Amino acid sequence: MTVSSAGGLDTDSTLKLSRKEMTQARAVRRFKWAVLSPLVLVFALILMPVLLLQLYFSFHGWTVYLGSWWDAEFVGLELFHEVLTDSRFGWAILRSLYFALGSTVGCFVIGFGLALLMYRPFRGQGFYYIFFILPMLTVPIVIAYTAEMLLYQKGPINGILSAIAGKDINVIWLANPDLALTTVMILEIWNWVPFSFIIMMAGLASLPREPQEAAHILGANRWRIFYEIQLPLLRPVIILALILRFLEAMAEFPKTWSLFQGGPGSATETLPIYIYLTTWNYFEISKGAAMSYVVLMLMVAIVLAAIQLLRREKSALDKMYATKSEG
Amino acid sequence: MAMTKTQKRKLFTAGRYGILTLWLLVVMFPIFWIFSTSFKPDSEWFAWPPVYWSATPTWSNYLNVWTGLEEYANTQYIQSMQKPWTALRNTLVISVISTTLAVGFGSVLAYGVSRYKILSEARMFQLLMLRMVPPIVIVAPLSLYYSTLHLLDTMTGLVIVYFLTTLPYAVWMTKSFIDEVPLEVEQAAEVLGANRWRIIWEIVLPLIRSGLVATFLFILILTWSEYLLALILSKTEVATLPVELSKYEGSTEGRVYGRQAALAVGITLPLVAAGIFIRKHLARGFSFGMVRR
Amino acid sequence: MITNFGDFTRRHFMKSAAAAAAVGMTSGTFANSAFAATEEEGIIAAAKAGKPAGLRGMIWSNYMAAMKKSSEEFKKLTGTSIASIQDISVFVIPQRAMAEAVSRAPDFDFFHVDSNMIPSLASAGLLEPLDKYMEKAGFKIDAVGTFGNFMKYKGNTYGIPTDGNVHTQFVRWDKVQAGSKAYEDKFGKAPAWPETWEDDQRMMEFFQDQKNDFYGSANLRNRANGVTWWYMMFYSAGGFPFDDDMNPTLNTAAGKYAVETYLKTKSVSHPEAPGWGTPQMIPRIVGDKVFSCQYWDGIISLAENPKKSKTVGKWKYGLVPGSKQSGKLVHRSISSPIASLLINKYSPRKEQAAYMAMWFATLKNSEQIVGDRVNTFHDPWHKGHMSSKVVRKAYTPGGVDAIEQNLKVASPPIYLTGLLEFQDILGKNLSEAYVGQMAAKDVLPKTEEAWAKIVRRVGKKRLIKELASYKAVFPKVDVPT
Repeated sequence: MTVSSAGGLDTDSTLKLSRKEMTQARAVRRFKWAVLSPLVLVFALILMPVLLLQLYFSFHGWTVYLGSWWDAEFVGLELFHEVLTDSRFGWAILRSLYFALGSTVGCFVIGFGLALLMYRPFRGQGFYYIFFILPMLTVPIVIAYTAEMLLYQKGPINGILSAIAGKDINVIWLANPDLALTTVMILEIWNWVPFSFIIMMAGLASLPREPQEAAHILGANRWRIFYEIQLPLLRPVIILALILRFLEAMAEFPKTWSLFQGGPGSATETLPIYIYLTTWNYFEISKGAAMSYVVLMLMVAIVLAAIQLLRREKSALDKMYATKSEG
Repeated sequence: MAMTKTQKRKLFTAGRYGILTLWLLVVMFPIFWIFSTSFKPDSEWFAWPPVYWSATPTWSNYLNVWTGLEEYANTQYIQSMQKPWTALRNTLVISVISTTLAVGFGSVLAYGVSRYKILSEARMFQLLMLRMVPPIVIVAPLSLYYSTLHLLDTMTGLVIVYFLTTLPYAVWMTKSFIDEVPLEVEQAAEVLGANRWRIIWEIVLPLIRSGLVATFLFILILTWSEYLLALILSKTEVATLPVELSKYEGSTEGRVYGRQAALAVGITLPLVAAGIFIRKHLARGFSFGMVRR
Repeated sequence: MITNFGDFTRRHFMKSAAAAAAVGMTSGTFANSAFAATEEEGIIAAAKAGKPAGLRGMIWSNYMAAMKKSSEEFKKLTGTSIASIQDISVFVIPQRAMAEAVSRAPDFDFFHVDSNMIPSLASAGLLEPLDKYMEKAGFKIDAVGTFGNFMKYKGNTYGIPTDGNVHTQFVRWDKVQAGSKAYEDKFGKAPAWPETWEDDQRMMEFFQDQKNDFYGSANLRNRANGVTWWYMMFYSAGGFPFDDDMNPTLNTAAGKYAVETYLKTKSVSHPEAPGWGTPQMIPRIVGDKVFSCQYWDGIISLAENPKKSKTVGKWKYGLVPGSKQSGKLVHRSISSPIASLLINKYSPRKEQAAYMAMWFATLKNSEQIVGDRVNTFHDPWHKGHMSSKVVRKAYTPGGVDAIEQNLKVASPPIYLTGLLEFQDILGKNLSEAYVGQMAAKDVLPKTEEAWAKIVRRVGKKRLIKELASYKAVFPKVDVPT
């Protein structure tokens, strides 16, 4: 266990030194447990029981009409089998993936693009900056209801698009099953561009100037500087931003539910919606639990892969700049 | 034909302003729409061609929502049964408390990680990914568990859940700020005999004040606008603003858009004001320690 | 504003009863009024025998608003009042009530929820049977036709009605009269009140004018609500969802007929209808954008309200269409949701809550609640409402007569444990077929398959025993007089 940089652990001579260091080590340990134990307590008291309860439900078939839940019958892997062979579940996964990938890429491309245009100071930078962060400050359910007003076939969005295009644009944003999921995706992008934008602005603005200036002096044009110098330095931030956004998008609920409740047809039945319906409309709490665990495992797999990637990128960068890793 | 450098620059600048302004319009239009709808009389909520700004703006939506007086068909004023002020109070209390806990606790934890590595790098990543458990996955057993603990429909219950789900962000964001505080400052304090806790509270944290503010605001946004957990874990006592918004729906009047807009403006304004106020600090907080300095 | 029950009201009643007799109204009405005077006394007496309580309920404030006056009166007389409510839409209360059943919480004393949820909630152990309290108070539910059976399950009464929701037919009679000659020229006979679904379809197709945003139908076709309309077609064609052994019997001639008729209305519905619920459709009904519909009868008072409607006086109300598919003409309307008061078995205050519920359902109080012009949310259901001046004024005489007729043929959705599950999957498949995501011929087989699973999960034996209650709720007449 590392000690603060006040000095390395020295098993050497004088009594005074080693006692000081032993007290220090003890103090650090005390500190560590003082800080971590409340956290561990909350996890143990709140998170673990909940996860265990969910696990219990996923292995026991319980109908709400049957009586108390602790009387439920053990059914082994039957529920998991049911979930994994449920085509409706498969479709929900596909829809969630489409939604999450689409909105993540959209957020990133637009956010990064804006950041690239804005990270060097220019006249009006502050002005644009204020407005660009606003969408993230709006509450998702407010966005859902506003979108409902805006997206009627005879609504303002179609009105504006028609005015621009010069002919009647009558897109049915809200009731067309082929378009509904994309509509929510667009709303998600609108909502979260600021997230990518701010992260990339932070990243770009804090890049060291020297390599860029050196390259500039050596005659490299803007694009080369971007591609070969700025981008590699930004890789860890980019990956982190993408992953965070992706995982949050997989869990999106308020906009999809308020606007569509899974419809029209089943066009917007993503994973959270399907689990919600299963648990709260059909009261198949056990099946919902099994579905939740499958989803959880899916997310954990994605996250572990992402962590690996991130750590690799970070250590590569650290090596490149040959400074001690802070961790 | 090559353009001169100045011409190129002018073109680039014009192009930049063009794109930025375009996105500005995209960003502002929905926000503008909520704002303008909140002033529209009910005949204009669904109008075609759309009414962009009412010719006869009215305060009645705000009056109805925020003072509870409901004007009805026969111009009678009756007391509306909605309780937006209670919801506002609930949201305020729950969000502020859980955010304060998360940031306070998280920054101390971040300090420990930054200086003493009390959590390994792997654990830190795992902590961040804890945030990624979709709420839908735990909400059913959580509500059952809470009901046995009598935490259902209590502020404490929601505060605990929000604390848990936002702690990862709090730790990560504050850690990146703490990492930048030079060790010499702390060492000086140590030499002078200050204990660890005093160093944290009186020296390190004040130095990263702007970072704390940015973190606080970001987490406040998350807890303020959270919907699913608030919906399931509240009953009569602690409805929050997002949950309240979904109630403004009359069976005979349809979605009362004007009133929802008036409520929405009230929900959004505090966050927007805070966001604008601390915008400069947002950028630094969002580097998550991933950016090489 | 609070009336002093003891003196004023009884005098008031005797006076109006005498006046009614003088005007020569039917003895039935008179008897109702006199009966009602004893009603209130009985309830108050029984309630006073217990301790006053502050009650907590799950009820939509839209409904609560009209009930405030009565509840304040009850508080004055007995001390029991509604202390706090969870104000959520009646469409989500079924799920929240089930959640309460799961956690067996005594937090709520009553639920104001669709009475069609009674089998499910009673099976989950949530509901308190009310017959013994009704006996103590000398109270009876006096509803039109067999409507009172909607509150019964396996021989016990579990709910007290406040809202007699039933679908009524709305037709823009001004358009019919204007286009009468053209219609006759085309079809050989003058347009009349649509007797069958085919008549209905023909008239909608003829009288609509889509180019001018005037569509034939305002029937809901979204995933959550469309199925409610489908039941009318299915039942009127002689269909019943299960056989005596709880095997699904949807994929029958009646079922196929219903799916076909349902999907045919696409040609007269707005293309955005699959995404619209009541909030979007109602403005169109009162805003002169539709020709006809079957709709919740509460909209009648909105449509006749000059401040809110552009179509005052233009509608004719009547019996919903029927079908001759089964060999004879059968009309079936649908009652869903029927917002009623259900009492929580786990609550320590259930007796007080029961008496309060009954209080709202006396003729006098329910008349005031239903006839409330400002907070028009509760619809008529009591026999006495049909001839009540207040109610007839709020709903127009034509409207009330139409409601009465439809109440006589009101049917339930699936009045069994598992309503939400059965209905949800049927609604989803219908909705997918409507938007073209599923072939029409697959709707019923796929639904039957899912239903078989639900039957197994809920328990076949239990459901077979419930079939009797389900059938008991059905109307006794096919064509009301």
